[in-house]
Amino acid sequence: MPMWFFRGLRRGVVTTRYPARPDGSAATLPTPPAFRPRLLTRQVADRLIAVCPSAALSRQDDVLIFDAGACTGCGRCAQAAAEAAPGAVTPSGQFELAATTREALVKQIPILGGER
Amino acid sequence: MSPGPDKLADRTPDQPADEATATTEAATRLRDTIAAQFGRSLHIRTLDTGSCAVCEQEIRLLTAPHYDLHRLGFFFTPAPRHADLLLVTGPMVRAFETAARKTYEAMPGPKVVVATGACALGGVYRKDPFVHGEVAEVLPVDVWIPGCPPSPLALLHGLGVAVGRLAEKMPDLTFVAEEAAKAADPGKAADTEAGGET
Repeated sequence: MPMWFFRGLRRGVVTTRYPARPDGSAATLPTPPAFRPRLLTRQVADRLIAVCPSAALSRQDDVLIFDAGACTGCGRCAQAAAEAAPGAVTPSGQFELAATTREALVKQIPILGGER
Repeated sequence: MSPGPDKLADRTPDQPADEATATTEAATRLRDTIAAQFGRSLHIRTLDTGSCAVCEQEIRLLTAPHYDLHRLGFFFTPAPRHADLLLVTGPMVRAFETAARKTYEAMPGPKVVVATGACALGGVYRKDPFVHGEVAEVLPVDVWIPGCPPSPLALLHGLGVAVGRLAEKMPDLTFVAEEAAKAADPGKAADTEAGGET
């Protein structure tokens, strides 16, 4: 009997129970950013838009438009925000992002900080 | 129950992508049909339209012991004629358009198209002249799976959404990290806030 058979018996089932149960490895996944509207100003938003390599961010007056479909989860916006406005951008922790309409992936983030 | 010819007729690949709203109804019907018809046996054909192959790597991982796609009744097939679901990755290179259309036409109905990864959703190569920029410009996409690459768990969720077995969460997500009460309607929150502070 090959050794892997006994090793398998000893270690038990490795298959995830997802989607019936949550999977532990989900916490380590790179995820799209979540924004804190009160820490965002127009200047910070423009900075985030400038560093986004996949054009997932754009701004319409005081609304930051975030296209989660275009987001690659690279974290550059979080890095830029760490200098300009600490805490304004954090990983959202969401990975179940599938949508049946493209519009559902485009989110509007209000910009509440700064002068207006 | 088999889908009537009218249901399949409004799903031709020649249909422009901007008529997505008109096809939403049909897509919902189709997903219901697929859930009822295929239950726990659905065959997936993957289509690489110019991706960097990391999406493929994640898709391949679905068959690994940890994710074990087959336990959920999904199977990969190398032939579009055997496929019920088309998993499309990449930004749809223009040179691949004909092949993509032919693949879609070769699939028997009812069929579902799933755009996978940020490129396929129009993120990374939107303005590149060699690509269409997103899959939806060529094929009628039913489910969008974001991610660069989408992790196997995200793919599992997307496939569950595609066959109507899992609920989609995206419409309820706001990507606003605080103010849960206001987060339900960010546009409205911005209006009231703007009125209050000025």
